[in-house]
Amino acid sequence: MSLAAGIARRAGRRALSSVPALFGVIVFTFLLMRVLPGDPAVFFASGPNAGQAEIQMIREQMGLDKPIPQQLLLYLKDIATGNLGRSMNTGQPVVTDLINRLPASLELTFTALLFALSLALPLGILAALKPNSLIDHGVRFLCSLGVCVPTFVSGLLLIYAFYYILGIAPDPTGRLDVFAAQPPVVTGFMLIDAAIAGEWESWRAAASQLVLPAATMALFVLAPLARMTRAAMLAVMTSDFVRTGEALGLSRRRVVLVYALRNALLPVITIMGIVFSTMLGANVLVEKVFSWPGVASYALDALLTSDYAPVQGFVLLMAFIFVLVNLTIDVLYGLADPRVSIE
Amino acid sequence: MKLNRRHLLAGTAAVATAPYLGGSAAAQTRAETLRYVTGATVNTLDPTMPGSTREAFGVSVNVYDRLVSFGRKQRDGNWVFDIDNIRGEIAEKVDISPDGMTFTFHIRKNAKFHDGTPVTAADVKWSYDRAVSARSLAAAQIGTGSWTKPEQFTIVDTHTVVGKIDKPDRLALPNLCTLYAIVFNSTLVKKHVTPQDPWGQAWTKDNTAGSGAYTVESFRPGEQVILRRNDAWTGGVDGKPAPFRRIICQTIPEAATRASLIEKGDADLSIDLQPSDIDTLVQRGRVKAISTPQFNAFSMIAFNTKMPPFDNKKVRQAIAAALPYDSLFKAGLFERGAKLYGGTWSGTPTDASFPQPMPYKQDVAKAKALLTEAGFPNGFDTFFAFNLGSAAFAEPIAALVKEALAAINIRVEIQKLPDAQISTMVTERKLPFFIETSIAWLPSTDYFFRTFLYGPQRWNYSGWNDQRIADIAEKARFETDKAKYDAACKEMIAIMAEETPIVMLWQPNQDAVMPKNIDGYTYGYHRQVDFRDVKRT
Repeated sequence: MSLAAGIARRAGRRALSSVPALFGVIVFTFLLMRVLPGDPAVFFASGPNAGQAEIQMIREQMGLDKPIPQQLLLYLKDIATGNLGRSMNTGQPVVTDLINRLPASLELTFTALLFALSLALPLGILAALKPNSLIDHGVRFLCSLGVCVPTFVSGLLLIYAFYYILGIAPDPTGRLDVFAAQPPVVTGFMLIDAAIAGEWESWRAAASQLVLPAATMALFVLAPLARMTRAAMLAVMTSDFVRTGEALGLSRRRVVLVYALRNALLPVITIMGIVFSTMLGANVLVEKVFSWPGVASYALDALLTSDYAPVQGFVLLMAFIFVLVNLTIDVLYGLADPRVSIE
Repeated sequence: MKLNRRHLLAGTAAVATAPYLGGSAAAQTRAETLRYVTGATVNTLDPTMPGSTREAFGVSVNVYDRLVSFGRKQRDGNWVFDIDNIRGEIAEKVDISPDGMTFTFHIRKNAKFHDGTPVTAADVKWSYDRAVSARSLAAAQIGTGSWTKPEQFTIVDTHTVVGKIDKPDRLALPNLCTLYAIVFNSTLVKKHVTPQDPWGQAWTKDNTAGSGAYTVESFRPGEQVILRRNDAWTGGVDGKPAPFRRIICQTIPEAATRASLIEKGDADLSIDLQPSDIDTLVQRGRVKAISTPQFNAFSMIAFNTKMPPFDNKKVRQAIAAALPYDSLFKAGLFERGAKLYGGTWSGTPTDASFPQPMPYKQDVAKAKALLTEAGFPNGFDTFFAFNLGSAAFAEPIAALVKEALAAINIRVEIQKLPDAQISTMVTERKLPFFIETSIAWLPSTDYFFRTFLYGPQRWNYSGWNDQRIADIAEKARFETDKAKYDAACKEMIAIMAEETPIVMLWQPNQDAVMPKNIDGYTYGYHRQVDFRDVKRT
């Protein structure tokens, strides 16, 4: 009981202390976008006879004809009412776009993280148990490779091998084969929606679309996770309680997986949080290569055309997710090591 | 017929087996579906919305009909649009008065909107009133055809509309063929108007009210649009519905992925692959490419005539003489296009068409002499800009320009700028010189000059305002005598060649890549795919 209460107290305090940070992010992004060179109204004035009149029309449509302080106040008021503005690139309200696209990014990121963890943890543990062995070097090689090869290269390579040459993978175009039936949207997560609707055909199609992009991303974040696991395990394996456990004749399996791993997990969880947030924002190249309709490629397109509203909306969303992830990590800390809650 | 148990059982059996026949139906659907892949996105279903993308134009052409439309012709073995051959779409007949100022449109009796209601003169009148009055892209475009106010359009009866202009304008009818002059189902749109939005523009962004060959089945902005054939469509040349039952128009940002999809046969058409990939793709033999020089477009190096030292004609001429045209054409475009340099005429052109090859060629000695005459014997420092989005072709060109100009002592720094930034700097006339590609929907010489070489609009890249051009172009626009018109055009081209506000480079090809069994592709004025022409053989 006291454990849960401690976690809740800490989570509450964290949530509260993140409010000023979020506000700062809003104001900062708002100003940054306006400081950037490039006038979106000029760019979007794309009619065959675009003159000053049309530019002025778009400027008014985007609310850019007012002085900046007034724009900021209007923007803050809009945010308070849940309105993040309208994207010029897609012609839709930013909130709608983000709601449609966030699940795509999350689904991809979660899957990739799952792939990465299921590979990184065993590899890290193995490398730590036999330092400087062939396995250790092998893991180091794999990690270096994953970090060195940019995601768009590994992505294109995977597409080339599995789609173009071997023909095993489906065409790398988004979340679902264009000819497959779309399951009714409930959560926005294709796998969950298809499962709810019981459309296993669609579920298989969605899952097979997910494999290549998730593998590409997993390869990229394998290194920090595996290396961190190895380092933490190495430190823990030489500590007193492990030696005691071994001296008391506990099985090797129990010592490693129960006593050592649980104590080594703290830094891994920290890294996991960081990796997750980075992946969500930085997977833009993977999204581009696999035509994945996620939030990162959405934000990049908006940034290139100085489409203010979507970029601001995206940054705000990312800040919000970062806060959430940190909260979750805090909760996980408490579970992995009860001492953390005693401050 | 009496309903008995036997019939009932047979009926149930038929219903029960129906789902299992789905497999063959699905296979058939694939053959009847065209999957079009593109790097760009559709952001609206109303092409007149400020900020609408070119892909959005392409979709609207297939969803909405106009009164009239361009026909097509063969040009070097490829189908292209023909501005001189105008056919009826919603109109079955157009009567033009002998003075060329009154157009009487007779609407097809069997033309119907997607909801089944007939197309009437009231719909046409409302749509045209909207085009000239609403705050949209339409007014500026069709204004170039002398259509500026609602009073010009009058209803004669349910199936007849008259349009009147003050002077005979050669672009009056062609402008009504463009995708801004679409006909809306006014009864349907009027249900969604508000006092702030009297033309229902907020609603038409995400909904359609047309009578075209296709209806929109699903629209996911930025991802894909699925079109379904309108079987009741009568606006085609032969009055028949479009060949494909379904069109999937999908955004695939990565050009390499689009290429693999086409080659594997998973996609059927793309018009924006990397020029460098086309030859290899065709050589591997699984696809064909229809390469059409975009004869209503051109790539150019534009000089800012408002900024020293480029306000000096001699400096511009010097650079035009220093550029290594052939190398630029090879490095930037892999020679996939039509040259607009190396013209053999001097003084006055022999041909009144535009763009045409201009008499520019590399002559370094002449360039040096011109630069000395201009007062820069030791050259000067400047920078050359290009759009980050077109880096694939502009980057090698920029490097060659830098190298070529170094030979005449002009020291060039290269700047890559993102889309919005370069547009702003061009409009504010802050760039000394830069590379750009642009297009005119209506390829008539006076229109090119009015759009790109005179006036305050964004597309006058060089900011050049020569009163002679203004006078000639405004007069040529209303000139009905072909000989006089041609003489005026030649005069403008000669002035431009002499003044060199821009250096014309080439007309890039549009490379439409498709499997070998896709046929009928036509290059359109909007540079998008008109799905109504395309069929699988």
